Amino acid sequence: MAKIIVVTSGKGGVGKTTSAAAIATGLALRGNKTIVIDFDVGLRNLDLVMGCERRVVYDLVNVIQGEAGLNQAMIRDKRVDNLFILPASQTRDKDALTSEGIERVLEELNKDFDYILCDSPAGIEQGAQLAMYYADAAVVVTNPEVSSVRDSDRILGLLASKTRRAERGEDPVKEHLLITRYNPARVDDGDMLNLEDIREILAIDLIGLIPESEAVLRASNQGIPVAHDQGSDAGQAYVDTVSRLLGEDVPLRFHEYQKKGLLSRMFGGGRR
Amino acid sequence: MSLNVDRAGLAFTFKGGMLPMTVMELTSADPERIRDQLAGKLSQSPAFFQHTPVVLSVEKLDEPHLALERICAVCRAHKLLPVAVRGGPDPVKQSAWALGLGWFPPQEIKSRNLESVGSDTPASDEEDTPTSRQEEAPASSGGRIYRGTVRSGQQLTAPDGDLVVVGAVNAGAEVLAAGSVHVYGALRGRALAGIHGDHDAGIFCRELHAELLSVAGNYKRLEDVDPRLLGRSVQVRLSDDQLTMASLD
Repeated sequence: MAKIIVVTSGKGGVGKTTSAAAIATGLALRGNKTIVIDFDVGLRNLDLVMGCERRVVYDLVNVIQGEAGLNQAMIRDKRVDNLFILPASQTRDKDALTSEGIERVLEELNKDFDYILCDSPAGIEQGAQLAMYYADAAVVVTNPEVSSVRDSDRILGLLASKTRRAERGEDPVKEHLLITRYNPARVDDGDMLNLEDIREILAIDLIGLIPESEAVLRASNQGIPVAHDQGSDAGQAYVDTVSRLLGEDVPLRFHEYQKKGLLSRMFGGGRR
Repeated sequence: MSLNVDRAGLAFTFKGGMLPMTVMELTSADPERIRDQLAGKLSQSPAFFQHTPVVLSVEKLDEPHLALERICAVCRAHKLLPVAVRGGPDPVKQSAWALGLGWFPPQEIKSRNLESVGSDTPASDEEDTPTSRQEEAPASSGGRIYRGTVRSGQQLTAPDGDLVVVGAVNAGAEVLAAGSVHVYGALRGRALAGIHGDHDAGIFCRELHAELLSVAGNYKRLEDVDPRLLGRSVQVRLSDDQLTMASLD
């Protein structure tokens, strides 16, 4: 039985695809057979972040419309053996996805995989709702800014009402908060919302906190999920996040501003 | 300023109002029996009968034709002023109008109409109202208790009574009640109490950051709120058609 996890946010550009790629990689590195599905039909990005864009032949829409088999469309990751990618279509209309089609694909994957990650498109329309509909758990990606927090709040409302679990009255979708692009120095300066404010407003469990990091941009552009870059703070933070998803108790890191040393305070300081 | 100038040129303005009204619920259509009972009441509490306006409710009667004119005469003789009739079949409605009285639909239908108006408002998204997961139990007085966070885009309504939220109401969420709204948590969204016009309704919250507060149609936006009250435990009520707020601490 696979666990279906949707990576969603409402707002665009907060790091859904980066997080989906990094978490999928982390889960696979821990020995779980994992597939990550790009639901962003028309704005396909996951293949780029996963570095497999040149190997895409068939996509999710082809599978749903019966033009290709699932095995033809799945791409095996070249770095991690038990990690697979199911890309989105770049040419089709985003209405090409159907609920029945998605259900069929997920049921077929359910037999072989431990984890199925659904990389949701931004927004709250059909694509985003289909990505979350069959989920068992959700990772809600949020930036430390008010508009992102509000959109995440909206998504949490949908998770509680417009998913299969909600409609059937089953146990609710397990909601996890993942804060990305967190910059403790700017939080201290009051430029960004702080961790506690976000947790208080959204009132769900924090699964991880990813610091704002150059490693993330570098990883995306190179097509190597940042979870591979374990020398970087962001890479380590994603590894921590995956451990927590697997039920381990890992202390939070990277959320406090590292005070400058004495010398930089004397000569380069002047903050506040 | 321009508003005042305009008003000076008008003969009147229409205003919605909910006035206290005595409903005289008839269980007999016999004017003589009504007269006897009124005579007894008049001797008991003469203060009540001072041209008091009443609405004659004939919902409990099952008679196609009423001696409405005689019943009205009996009432007036006892210093009651019938102003309208509620319920009854079409001939009753016609004779009420002929006597210069207003006519109201029967109460059950009226309250159902109000509810359907409530759920037809564009902001309401039936499937988007929080339902399945949080515990919710019908309260005795037609009120509603909701445990959990009311999130952006969600709308929670108590069409017949008070609404109690044990949790926060987030920005972009809307909570509405025919009675009062109680929020045991932060109120960051919109709260509307007394949506059917109850002037005695109030809004109570543990932490005030509300986008909009309204009691019986009188509202304040966040920027109209005294900044000293923000983040505090506050009650909002109506006094002399003015929304007043006071700290509960």
